[in-house]
Formats: sequence, C-alpha cells, structure tokens
Amino acid sequence: MRSLTNFAPSTFEERGAAVGFTTPVLAQTRVRKDDREQLEVLVPNLSEGRGVYVVPWKGLPLAFPMTVHDRMLQELIHRGEGCSPDDIRKAVLEAARCGLAGPLAVEAAEAALRDDDEQRLLINFQLIVEVLKAAGLESTEILRAGLGSEEGQRLTRSYMVKAAQSLSIEPTELYSRVAELAVFMEPVGIGTSPKPARLRRLMRDLLHFRDSMTEWSVDNVSESAPIGSFCAEVAEHTLNHVRNVVTQLDQSVAAFETLLRQWDTKRATVRRSTTRLSWLLDGWDFIVNTWAAAQEKSRHEQDMTVHELFRVLPLLPKDEERADHALQADRVLAANRRTVRAYVDWRSGQLDMDLVMRIEAIKGKAA
Amino acid sequence: MDPQAILGLGSKLLDIDEERFRQVVGLLEQIGDHPEVQKTFSLIRPRLVEVRPKRRPTFKRLFCEPFEDLFEVPNGNQPAPLNRIDRAVVNSLWPLVESTIGKDRLRGVAGALRDGAARAEPAAAFWSMSAAAVADILAQLDLGRYVDELGLRVNPDRLRTIQDIAQILAIAPAVDEMKAVLAPKPVQKLHKDHLEGVQAAGRTVARGRPETLKLFILLAAARLSDPSILLGGLWDMDFGQKASERAALFLDLSGTVVARIEERSRGAAATPGSTTDRMAAADLAVDLMASLEATRSAMEYSRNKEFDQRLKAVRESVHDMVRTQVLDGADGEILTAVATLTTGGGEDTGKMVMAENQARALRKCSTIADTLGLRGELKSVTQKATASLTDTARQVLVDGNGDARTGYTAIRMIELISGPAEASQVMDQILRTGRR
Repeated sequence: MRSLTNFAPSTFEERGAAVGFTTPVLAQTRVRKDDREQLEVLVPNLSEGRGVYVVPWKGLPLAFPMTVHDRMLQELIHRGEGCSPDDIRKAVLEAARCGLAGPLAVEAAEAALRDDDEQRLLINFQLIVEVLKAAGLESTEILRAGLGSEEGQRLTRSYMVKAAQSLSIEPTELYSRVAELAVFMEPVGIGTSPKPARLRRLMRDLLHFRDSMTEWSVDNVSESAPIGSFCAEVAEHTLNHVRNVVTQLDQSVAAFETLLRQWDTKRATVRRSTTRLSWLLDGWDFIVNTWAAAQEKSRHEQDMTVHELFRVLPLLPKDEERADHALQADRVLAANRRTVRAYVDWRSGQLDMDLVMRIEAIKGKAA
Repeated sequence: MDPQAILGLGSKLLDIDEERFRQVVGLLEQIGDHPEVQKTFSLIRPRLVEVRPKRRPTFKRLFCEPFEDLFEVPNGNQPAPLNRIDRAVVNSLWPLVESTIGKDRLRGVAGALRDGAARAEPAAAFWSMSAAAVADILAQLDLGRYVDELGLRVNPDRLRTIQDIAQILAIAPAVDEMKAVLAPKPVQKLHKDHLEGVQAAGRTVARGRPETLKLFILLAAARLSDPSILLGGLWDMDFGQKASERAALFLDLSGTVVARIEERSRGAAATPGSTTDRMAAADLAVDLMASLEATRSAMEYSRNKEFDQRLKAVRESVHDMVRTQVLDGADGEILTAVATLTTGGGEDTGKMVMAENQARALRKCSTIADTLGLRGELKSVTQKATASLTDTARQVLVDGNGDARTGYTAIRMIELISGPAEASQVMDQILRTGRR
C-alpha cells in the first residue's frame, strides 16, 4: 500500500482509467497496466484509511466480494485490448447492456450507444461539408438528397472526387483522412455542431459542477466544506486544461484545408489532443452525476457525498499540472479526519446492497 | 414588498435555486410578523429546515430556541418528536409574552441577539424572563375558555403545550448546553461524549427543577434519528436521582417511545394491500424492528409486563405487514417480470424496476425474519424464486432458448434476492458449461 502522496502518478497512464464498478468499495477505482503489461487495479482509501492499494486484476474477486455485474465487467476488460478511457467505456456499456446492473442501466447504455451512432453519422457529414467548403464546393444538393439515401451517397462520392482534385489529394487518400479524423473527433465533435458530442457535454457539466460545488462550499460550516472546495478547485484546473485542448482542436478544424494537406504531421497532434481530452475528463461523469443526484438530498447526505467524491476525484498527474494535487489532497485528508465508514455491512461482511443500488442509479444516468 | 405578492409565489419557492430562496427569505423577514408572511413560512418550512438560511436574530426566534426541536416538521423523512409543540400556539403566545416582559426589559437583554460567547448571559436572562411571563399567562388560563389575547380556546393539548413551554424555558441554559452536545441534528448514534454531555446537563436540571427532567430527556430524544436510541443509554445515566425516581422516569419515557412505535405500526397496518411498494414496506418493517429491539433491550432493566405486551402487539403487526406486503406473491411477480422479457412481451422498464424492488425487499427482510418468526416462510419464497430463476438462466445462457438479456436478468434477480455469492455461483456454473 502506498500513501496518496507517494502514489502521485506522473502521467495519465500511470493514474489509470476509472472503471464503473457497482461494488461500492471498487466504484470508480482505476485500472492500468503494470511493467509486464498485466492489468492491475488501484483501490484508494480502503475502509477510509489513507493510501492506495494496488491489486492484481485477476486477484480482484478474491480480495473483494463483487457484484455479478462487476465480475462480467472485469472479464470484458480482461478480454479487451487496452485500458484507455475509451476501451473501458466500451466494456462498461457492454456490461450494462446485459442487464446485470438493472433495467435503467440497460436503457442508459443503449441510449449512449445510439448517441454514439448519431454522432458518428453527424461528424462524418460535418467533415464532408468541411472538405467541400475547403474545396470551394456547395453541399446543399447532398443535403437535399439526404446523406443516407443512395442518391445522396452518389452525390457525395462525386463531390469528394472533385474536392480531392481541387485539394490535389488522391480521392482514396482524402476518404481515408476524413474517416480517420472522424474516428478521432467522434467523442469531441466539432465546435459548430448543433448537437454537442459527449466530451463537450461533459465539459459543460463539469463547469456546472465546479460552480455548484463552489457555491455549496461557501457559507458551509461543516467539515466537508474544505473538501468540497478542493473538489471544485480540481475541477477548475481540469477545465483549464480541457479548454486549452478543445481550443487547439477547434483551431485545427477551422483551418481545415491545412489540416487535410498536412495530415501526416497534423494527424499525431489531433490524435494526441483527443486522447488527452478523454483522459482529462475520465471519471468526471460519475462525479458530476453523483453530485447532481445529491442536490435533492439532505445536507448530511450531501456531506457524505462530498467525502465519497473526494475518494475518487480524478487528480491531475504531476506532468500535467504545476500544482501538486496529490500533496494537496493528502493535506485536505489529514485536516479532515473522520470516523471509519466501511463499504460492507459490518455485521455480516456482506455487500451493502443499498449502496450498490445508489451506484447503479448513477450508472443509469451516467452511461 | 406586498406580502400578498410573495404569498402568490406559493410552492414555487420550494423549487427556485438556493441563492434566490435565501434572498426571498430575507425579504420575508424584513416584512415582519404579518399573517401572510407566516403562512408563506409554513409553506416553505421543509426547505427552511433543509437549507437553513441565516435568519435575522429576533427575540421570538430566541424564545423558540429551547423547544424548537419539538416542532413537527412537515417532512416524512424526519423523525417526529415524542412530545410535539404546536407552532400556532407559539405564534399566538409570543406577542403576549413580549408585552408581558415589556420593551424596556427586552432592550436590556438585546445582547442575546448577538453571536458568540457574550450572548450566553443575556440569553439566559431573556429565557428566565420569558419563563416567568409564560408562567404568569398560564396562571390566568382556564381550560375550555376562549382567550381573546391568544385568539384561541384553551383545550387540554394547548394547555399542555404552554405548560411545556414554561418548563422548558425555565431550564433553557441546560437545554442549550445539551443541544451543543447533540449536534448536528439528527444524531445517528450515541457515543460516550454524547452521553456524558447529556448527563452533565441533565444533572443541572435534576438539581434545580427535577419535575422538568422528563421534558429535558424528550428534547434530547428529539435530536436523535430514532428516539428509542436514547432509551438504551438512559439506564446508565446518573442524574443524581433516587433509584425509584430513576425507574419512574425510565418507565415514563419508555411509555412515550412505545406509544410512538405503536402509532407508526398502526399507520403501516392501516393501508394493507394499498402498498404496492414492497421496498417501502420492507424499509418500514426493518426500521420498526430496530426501534422495537432497542426499546426491548432497554426494557430488560425495568421488566414491565404491560410494555412487554404492547411491544408484542407491535411485533405482531410488523409480522403481518411483512407477510402480506412483502412475502405474499413476491416470487410470482418477480418470475412474471423476467418471463415478460423471455416472451418478448415488451421490455417494460417500470415493471422490471418494480420486480427488482420486490427482490430487494425480500433480501432486506431476511435480517428481521428470524425475530419475526418468518424465517421458514421467507426461505420458502426465496428458494422457490431462486430455483426458477436459475432454471431460466440455464435455459437461456446454456441451452440458447431465448434472449441473453433474460438470462442475465434472472441472474441479477438471484443476486438481489440471495446476494452476489449465490448469483456468482450460478454464473460460474454457466461459465463452466459454456455461456453464449
């Protein structure tokens, strides 16, 4: 076991990606690969103690009594190829769709997947419009025929060939560049999109979270107030980074012709930015939704929620931020000691099913 | 601002954002003691309790401070106090108390409206004046007579309320001390420092005004999430009374606690069949049993047969409630909901949520089934349901008859009824035989 300060990861990969487990003690714990490329999970503040436990992925069910949903999710992640936030999200949605986290989680997962499909279609169309715009062509005819229709697709092909000639790029190469860019940009979307994509929505929600938590912490005399204030501060720092990345991406898309022409050099930058964005916002959806659900609850429950959020707060890695969040978090923790609250029923050592239910309810909103 | 205009906002005040809510409360306070304003405050009381905006300190608020925990808050989540004080009586009483004390004397204790340690002395003086004023008013009241100054007819309940107020005001500094110990409200569990603090303040009360000790204890109980918690600790507290007085106080308080449990169990029994929410019934049953157990173990000291009988009756009513509202037909409803998925009869999320709640209710009641003598019945219901669900899961996931989601939903239901260990066992068996 290592203390929070000793643990303080340098990179996002070292911090790991948050996993939407429903077992309370494992909720939002982070998974990463060790030196031998084996998965391991980081469990913070076990039984409210300080520090982080590093548990081998395979040993997880032996160390903790898990819900059936979590065992399925663990297997899906194990079978998957990687452990980036996108890989984990894919596994989380697949596990939720099975029904092992309840009908609301099924609905939410299916809605999320439908949204992904819509965004995929939307970003493809938007990028084609950008290509035509860069080549000085109009897209109204395609719009009129409908992108999904045969006529629309025929028109798109012919316009794209014209655009490729105008941009002096091979048509197949142009297609491949647009397709690759669409894959990179799908979770972020483009700035002018009528329907903001997932990460832009999350960015907006994070902004609301920061404001709401700041307001809550001011005029609050409970011991949770400084913790809430710290949560808002971490959200603020994260938002600053997110804004920078989004601005860079939007600028790249705004100079679309340059982006297409210099794809070989720009490709890596765009990819790095979108990957970084998903790492920056990783874990915040659970926090934002948990806090939103707590708004209807009593002050005492809100205090408890703030403690729970602090446990899984996505602190920025050392290489990303000048301020040492891990050190600050350790100080906040030391200054706000409280009684032990285990995540199992202390009489029987069994899972606290009421807590599981609450996490599943959040999953029903956050997927 | 016109008070009518604010009243016109009505329940909208419950939905506006917190900052604006605080502003409106500030505006209402500036208007003062207008009947329309009081009506509005009654309307927004649950939110006032929740948000606790910083209220302008007034003598009326200070007057109410020692007994405010006995006001009943119109909010189902809050435990009702054992001895209620009617807010309307207080609203009528305060102007009379204010005029009895007189403005000059009130000005003399204006320091009581300030914050900090300097407030203690003038506050104690104010409460002492108020206690004397209420006692004077009380001396002039006749049961059954309409009192013009109060605008109320003095019925037994109102008389009892005013008597309680007078007694509580007389011990207000000790109550203040006890409130500081039992904070923040509601206290979920009594620790050693809580018990020591209540005991120290209680001794002061027992020495000065022994007749108010019961009220003092009731006030302490009102600051707990469940008043019966205090019963357990009460027997070990030494207020410096004689053994017989101590036993009498304990019995008196036990009687009040038992009466409250009886009231709650009657409330639950009054709506048999109408409660389709099995989870709510299970929650109430578990809660009532916790109160019952705490009361019964505290009663071990007194060995009072009458209470034993009354507690037995409560236990029987909880037994009936669990049998009729949680166990009866639960397995059938769970299996039908899963079967609806099998036959493709529409994945009605609402129905599934309800079925899940039924499964959770069964599991919740497993903690009290032994005490209620329902272990056998519960075991039979859960075993029947689990066996059928296991069959469904196998048929779908091993034999491939039906949609995979139905199989996983059956496993989830097993988890909710019997716990993750049993569900994992079923899952492992299926994994070994080759899951789809």
